[in-house]
Formats: sequence, C-alpha cells, structure tokens
Amino acid sequence: MSAVDAGLAGEYAAIYAYGTAAVHLDGAVRDLAESLEAEHRERRDALLDFYDGHGLEAAPAHASYETGPVDDAETAQALLLEVEERLATTWRAGVASEEPAEREICLNMFMDCAKALARWRIAVGASAAEPWPGRPEE
Amino acid sequence: MFTTRRGLLVGAAALAAAGCTETPAKIIDSDDDLTAALRRARSLSRDAEALGYPDIAADHLAHAATLERLLLPSTIGEGEPEAPLADAAALAEAEAAACEEAREACLTTTGDYAVLFGEIAASRAAHAAVIA
Repeated sequence: MSAVDAGLAGEYAAIYAYGTAAVHLDGAVRDLAESLEAEHRERRDALLDFYDGHGLEAAPAHASYETGPVDDAETAQALLLEVEERLATTWRAGVASEEPAEREICLNMFMDCAKALARWRIAVGASAAEPWPGRPEE
Repeated sequence: MFTTRRGLLVGAAALAAAGCTETPAKIIDSDDDLTAALRRARSLSRDAEALGYPDIAADHLAHAATLERLLLPSTIGEGEPEAPLADAAALAEAEAAACEEAREACLTTTGDYAVLFGEIAASRAAHAAVIA
C-alpha cells in the first residue's frame, strides 16, 4: 500500500466518521464538523483525480468503518478529533516519499489536516498550537 | 530523485577528490534551507510573542531549537533585525509566507529533511489559519 493509498483510505474513513458523529453535535461545533466533512470530500475527490491523472486505480471505500460507540456530543467530538489526528499522522508519513508527485500531494493533505486539527482544538477549548502536527507520540 | 545544495556540494567534493575538477570544493557545514527556516522561526516567535500569541511563539521556538541542533556545529547568528509586525493580520500573512517557504524546502530536499520541513510547513499553515 502506498502513502497515497493509506491516505485515501483514511479520507474514506473520515467521511464515514463525520457522517456518523455530526448528528450528535449542535451549534458552532456542528457547523465545524459539516465544514470539515465537506473538506474531506473535496480531498477524496482530489485524490481520485490524482489516481486518474497517474493512470492508477484507486481502492473503493468500504461500506462502513468501525468507529466505536458514538451516542452523544462528547464521544462524537472525541471520535472526530482522533480521526483528524490519525489522518495527520498518515499524511505526515507520506511526506517522506522520494516520489515527487506523491510527496507533494501528501504534503498538501498534511497541511490541510494540520489546519483542521487546529480548528478542532479551538472548538474543544484547547490551544491550537502544535509544533509537530501528526508526529506519533514517542 | 531529489537534490539539495548540500548534495551538490558533497558531489562536487567527491569529484574534486577524484581529480575530476580543478575547482576546489567548498565544504559547507550548514544548509541554506535549514538556516532560512531557523531565522524565520526566530522572527516569527518574536512577532507572535509581541502580538499576544505565546503558544504560537512556543511552536516557533520548538522549531528553532530543532533546527539549531541540526545545524551544529555551526551556530547561526540573528541576521539583520526585521521591523516588528503591526498586527494579527500581518502575523497571519507572515505565517502563510513562511509556510510556503517551508513547503518549498520540503519539496526540494532529500527524504532526511522532508518530514521536518513538512511538519514546520503544516504547523505554520495551522497558525495562519487560526490567526486569520
């Protein structure tokens, strides 16, 4: 599985997670979730264009993904924050690619993830600052 | 596939050692992109702190500390002082410009530093997004 394959799988899972969790949110947090879900759909489409443009075949999305129990705003927010953190880690790993086009698309996705993570952190009352977004904890 | 100025200089040194050129190779112990990123991190840290964004200033200091370690044994001076930024909008603009610098460095460096420059670009992109 290439870095872009892993990222695309993550974007599919993120779209599913937002669709599952956003219904438990209200107000500004709901607006944020809907905005970020739309961004993930745009990223998925950009990735599918990348596959087309390079003569590659993209894997399809699964029908469903394991999210764990999501039955209130707290678990919904926790799920979506975790999804963004995992995606940032996935795209960060792809930046090490020695293939220029792959590195570039992974970097673009990684930067978008960092922005989404910062918006989520503000929404949950945390600091948006993060010097090393997506870096796995040691 | 990727080349850096450092890589080219190392290559030049190897050619010179093999007697392939009469031009003496210049051995460098710092990298222009790392140095530029360090200077930018320092200036952004000062501006973020002055404009009331201590958490963001701390991010830049973390970048600066890592870049300083990577550049050892060279030590990089402060360079020409820049005028302080006027307000949050100017800081957001500076973060976005600095993000683009780190992004370009990421795309043109070897794998060793690509992730580091990518992390710095992503962090700066997030700063620009939340300050704007």
